[in-house]
Amino acid sequence: MKKLLLLVFALMPVISFAQGFQVNLEGEKQIGMGHTGTGLVQDGASVFFNPGAVAMLPENYVQGGISPLLFKSTFNPQGTNVQDHTANKIATPFTFYAAWGPKDSFWKLGLGVYTPFGGLTDWGDSWQGKYVLESLNLKAIYIQPTLSIKLADFLSVGGGFVYNRGSVDLTQAIPLTNSAGQDGQAELKGTGKGYGWNAGIYIVTEVGVTVGITHRSEVNTTINNGNAVFTVPSSLQAQFPQPNTFSSSIPLPATTSIGFGFYPNKQWTLAFDANAISWDVYKVLAFNYGSTTAAGLQNTVEQRDYKDAFSLRAGAQYKTNKNLAIRFGGGYATTAVEDGFVSPEAPDANRAFVTGGLGYTFSHHLDLDLSFEYEHVMSRDQTNIQTQLAGTFETNVYIPGISLAYHW
Amino acid sequence: MKNFKLYILSGLLFVAACKPEIHTPSLSRGTANFSRFIAVGNSLTAGYSNGGLYLDGQLNSYPSIMAKQMAQVGGGAFNQPLFTSAQANGSGYLTLAGFTKTGSPIIDTVTTDLAIRSEYNAPGFGPVILYTKYTGDIENYGVPGIKLLNITFPQYGNYNGYFERLLPGDGSTTTLNTDYLDFVTAKPFTFFTDWLGNNDALSYATTGGAGDVLTDKTTFAQLYEASLQALTAGGAKGVVATIPDVTSIPYFNTVTVAAINAQVAALGAKLYITALVSGTTYAPRLATNSDLIVLTFPTSMLGTLVSTPYGPLPYGLTPYTPVDNKYVLDANEVALTRDYVQSYNNTIKTQAAARGLAVFDAYTYLNNVQLNGLEIDGISLSSAYITGGLFSLDGVHLTPRGYAIIANEFIKAINTTYSANVPLANVASYQGLKFP
Repeated sequence: MKKLLLLVFALMPVISFAQGFQVNLEGEKQIGMGHTGTGLVQDGASVFFNPGAVAMLPENYVQGGISPLLFKSTFNPQGTNVQDHTANKIATPFTFYAAWGPKDSFWKLGLGVYTPFGGLTDWGDSWQGKYVLESLNLKAIYIQPTLSIKLADFLSVGGGFVYNRGSVDLTQAIPLTNSAGQDGQAELKGTGKGYGWNAGIYIVTEVGVTVGITHRSEVNTTINNGNAVFTVPSSLQAQFPQPNTFSSSIPLPATTSIGFGFYPNKQWTLAFDANAISWDVYKVLAFNYGSTTAAGLQNTVEQRDYKDAFSLRAGAQYKTNKNLAIRFGGGYATTAVEDGFVSPEAPDANRAFVTGGLGYTFSHHLDLDLSFEYEHVMSRDQTNIQTQLAGTFETNVYIPGISLAYHW
Repeated sequence: MKNFKLYILSGLLFVAACKPEIHTPSLSRGTANFSRFIAVGNSLTAGYSNGGLYLDGQLNSYPSIMAKQMAQVGGGAFNQPLFTSAQANGSGYLTLAGFTKTGSPIIDTVTTDLAIRSEYNAPGFGPVILYTKYTGDIENYGVPGIKLLNITFPQYGNYNGYFERLLPGDGSTTTLNTDYLDFVTAKPFTFFTDWLGNNDALSYATTGGAGDVLTDKTTFAQLYEASLQALTAGGAKGVVATIPDVTSIPYFNTVTVAAINAQVAALGAKLYITALVSGTTYAPRLATNSDLIVLTFPTSMLGTLVSTPYGPLPYGLTPYTPVDNKYVLDANEVALTRDYVQSYNNTIKTQAAARGLAVFDAYTYLNNVQLNGLEIDGISLSSAYITGGLFSLDGVHLTPRGYAIIANEFIKAINTTYSANVPLANVASYQGLKFP
């Protein structure tokens, strides 16, 4: 009879993403004004900000922009004076918009390609939380054809269909040491898709204030047949079958916004936006693998329990002359992540941001817009309920941006 | 456009330098002084792991991990009686060679690059293995095998090769005359850890109650008093630790009566053991789930035929061929051991409190780990053998990661008692069990 030992490696890669991952970088003119625009008609970015306002655009637009984003996070493990920093990696949220309709017609067609959710975090393979996360590169690219109709001079509506192409590339260490003293490694890499819609209404009131109301739906994004690569000591490899696949589903939340535009005189435009983001849908994160083992790799379900988040934004534009615009703004956003659920992929907390921007119009048709955003994610001292990773996270985000818009 | 790219690039370079700095609480030694910190104890203190004492284990001993953290608040040099790199495998140790098809571990022994000097037969005691002498400075005084009972015995070096190794003189030819307590307190020190007493119960338990005896409770209390008296005589502060419940370690929880019965049920058989009735009277009886089988029990013996007055009968499966006493800590022996350990721990806690010393309650801590497991920085740990990540292959001693966790618990006790802020060690940077 053999020695009686039941070996169960209850080791589940703790995998989590889609945190407070909303990227609010959907147009340089709007970023400059604190990322407001629901209640304004600025340019083709209305396809994102308020499809209802697209029909009110005085011209047709083709435009593209990019906002290289540097996410600098620091972690101080509880009970130490150690500070772990994320590596300098630059994410590249981008936008492309087109809005077109016959001259003076009551309708316009729009197309938007933009990145409303994403994250690029690299903590390295030697920090205290390496078994929770080493690096994560998450992207959601929305493609949105849109139709907008002007019902009256003071009222227009619009809506679009959203196709999302999401991708994820996540690495984490597995706490199984090989004979050379190295950790195991997990990498999950895959792409998925999801569908949704957005709609908006735009009103010009009698007193001249403009109002926009929009809803962007939840986009449930499903990744099927992603690659799940597990490198573990060879005597345990059978417990982590290779090659392997994974599938998961992430609900990217709905956002409901209301925005106002004020025009005290010819030079000034003031804008206010309020957003409610329905993160409440994000209850659990489940991972299923193509092949699992009774004594090793098992499917996982993790609690997330996000709560709805809110943001308030304000911005202003001052036109020094017909061609040059100076913009500034800022805002505050509450976190979706409840106490006990903060984790290193996007160490979320309430955040405040300030923005500034410059716009110049060349020969009536070409806008060059520059923007800069500085965002501070408040310091948050937390012990994660599941991983027990305990310490303080603090994050600064720096985002320059540039866009070109051609209109005619 | 070129210029804009340049501006953006230089802007990014600028902000790349602007990482957030978190204001961390300042470190402090509080009312403690770590300028010479010594560690007093047994194999756990020495860094014993995987059934042996060897260089890699020594380098990951909990006192050495603590000393690294103390160095950030004024701690001094911390020397350990390390084996040389040429004799890095010290006493030899167990390694995991792989798993059988049924998932049982295949365990090998490392027998190269040892530090074994010789072996001699101590009169009235038995064979003692002697190791290459260590003559340098010592701050880690952990001696594998030592009991509290042994600390004032002048000739102890003649009977324990790990202690002999630290003393001048050849223990196989001369009578050594330095007791452990005098040895560790010979040079002044400012701070100490004291985790003695485990073997006073463990040596009895690991041999199934057959190979040793429990140290008398009163003797334990007297010796503990004497040791704390000596350790605090020079004004040093320190931290002591309680003795874990023997049943909280995988050595007693891996090969179980239930698992064996499930295997032999096919033969229509049940497990019989030699169990304590009372005093020193033993009798065979059916095993129950309250009886603990030791990790080292060779299960291959089960069912092999043993000649008895009634003819050849299968080992372990009849009342005439019960499993030997040395392989079983039966329910009565468990109760007896528990009773002694609780008495020892009351002594430890009472005497430490009387002297204002910090206490790491290892008994409570390890019982809690056994009951609930332990989650640290995304690592799921438990008291399970091999898969748990805390205990090494011998089922008693810890992995480097396990020792790092213990070091942090000692540090937490120090921080509380001495209003200090010694930084915790990063558990994730210490390895668990090595798999091939």
